[in-house]
Amino acid sequence: MLCLDNKENIIFCNKKFKEITGLKDSQIIGKNWLNVLFLNNDNNIQRDLLKAVMDDSMKYSRSKDFEVALLDNNGNEKFILWNLTPIQAENNQTNGNILAGHDITEAKERGSSLKNIDETLKNVFSKIKEYALYLINLDGNITYFGMGSEAMLGWDKQDILFKHVSILHNFKSSDGLHFILENIRNYGKYETELDLVTKNREMIPVILSAHQFLDLNGKLSGYIFIAKDITERRKLEFQVIQGEKLAALGQLSAGIAHEINNPLFVIAAKLELLKTEKLSAKVKNDLELINLQTERIRKLVDRILKFSRKKIPIFEPIQINDAIELVLPLLYYNNLSMVKIEIKKNFDVNMARVNGDLHQLQEVFLNLLINACQSMPNGGVVEITTTNIKNLYAQIQIKDTGSGISPGQLKNIFMPFFSTKSEGTGLGLSICHNIIKNHNGTIELNSEVNHGTVFTIKLPFI
Amino acid sequence: MIYKILIVDDEEAVRELFSELLEKEGHKTSVCATGEETLEMLKKENFDVVLLDIKLPGISGLEVLKNIRDAYKNLPVVMITGFGYDEDLIAKTKQFGCSGYIGKNMPISQIITTFKQFVKIAKEKV
Repeated sequence: MLCLDNKENIIFCNKKFKEITGLKDSQIIGKNWLNVLFLNNDNNIQRDLLKAVMDDSMKYSRSKDFEVALLDNNGNEKFILWNLTPIQAENNQTNGNILAGHDITEAKERGSSLKNIDETLKNVFSKIKEYALYLINLDGNITYFGMGSEAMLGWDKQDILFKHVSILHNFKSSDGLHFILENIRNYGKYETELDLVTKNREMIPVILSAHQFLDLNGKLSGYIFIAKDITERRKLEFQVIQGEKLAALGQLSAGIAHEINNPLFVIAAKLELLKTEKLSAKVKNDLELINLQTERIRKLVDRILKFSRKKIPIFEPIQINDAIELVLPLLYYNNLSMVKIEIKKNFDVNMARVNGDLHQLQEVFLNLLINACQSMPNGGVVEITTTNIKNLYAQIQIKDTGSGISPGQLKNIFMPFFSTKSEGTGLGLSICHNIIKNHNGTIELNSEVNHGTVFTIKLPFI
Repeated sequence: MIYKILIVDDEEAVRELFSELLEKEGHKTSVCATGEETLEMLKKENFDVVLLDIKLPGISGLEVLKNIRDAYKNLPVVMITGFGYDEDLIAKTKQFGCSGYIGKNMPISQIITTFKQFVKIAKEKV
């Protein structure tokens, strides 16, 4: 507490002021209040501001509040909230001022630590990319775009705020949004799976849960949306479904192949017996043709049954580089025109062994290499790269510079009977897929039309 | 050597085919469509070799093989296999003492040679 005369000099101070500042009466009494308050503080801007506050208070005889940081006698900063009240004489002239100070240091610190928590939370939330949280008002315009929204959806806050939410929701008509909002109004919340649209017009599958946003009076003022990115889950689901489809197809095709087996055997055997008969040249020619076609069916049935048969791999430690090396000569026996095809090998010499069935793995490598060569009828380069990934697994990449596979075909590439080649059975890659799966490995591919395809196989080390 | 052979397969065309192939080689053949029939037949007549399909309706080929082994210790039994036959099942027939296999996926000439070899080995063992 300070009392000032009409010249703004201190005529009285209480004990607390002396305690906080550590000043003696001699340093306080009779001195200009600003000189005392700013004794250890050279913040001239604040000083001028306070001068203005004082002048204003004197001029209009009004009470004013202001905040000043003081240094206590230990040099710690204290925040004091001052109330400046002019003392009025009978003639309405200002006679002096009373300054009543209140120490608000603690409250200030609490406030700033709260602010810190706020900042930290904000930081944490901004790093969560799987969740996007956004609000819309009753008109459907986005009023808040927080948490992982920017990261997930690619929009900057300032670009999307106050835009209609349909920019994010992949609804064909406004009915979709209306349906959700109707549900929230009726039941308080609504949850659904849908695709959100990113700034680059990509679709992100999410679980969207939407809630009412109420104002302080409990009146509906908008809607809160929380979207969880489920891209990874969708991928897994797709793989499981794909796996089930493969298994079902395998069973079905094995059943069919089996039924074809017996009649085919009889036809093939009878044809062979007929060869020994005395027949005209034309009949013999026709029989040869029938024989060739029968042979084709026989090979197809063989392939199908091989594909469906759950052959348990016989595991042994395998050096991947050697296994690939042994396959390469076989390429030349597969009626391929290898003339203009260059095979580059980038083998990681520091390769551990994988647990695998040598024949099955070689079947995979041969299959992929044949595919690579077939995709380059005019020649090109096949690059085989093996890499030891962190001593955890072997990565084998087979890259060609061939015709590539279109995105539409890519998603079906491991499906049985799906082929991009007119003479393919469509079983090669699904057999590869099964074999690698049985080895606890993964097989993936990237392809670009007219640029080529890269197959990547990962097999765990022993 | 001329043998009296019992051919067991549930499909008539296959039975007739084997019959034709083996008779061309000079052997005598009889045919059966089921396991039950086979065991009855074996009680009535003596055979030198049984050609037995693994997949049979009713009593399975494996059961028939077991029964034959129990009753006729030295009678050679050659199993007929094909594409997609259960490999575990095939392995079991070996355990139960079949003399060998001929596959429906083999070329005809190979079927005959293989069959002859198996019978020869089986007879030598006796």
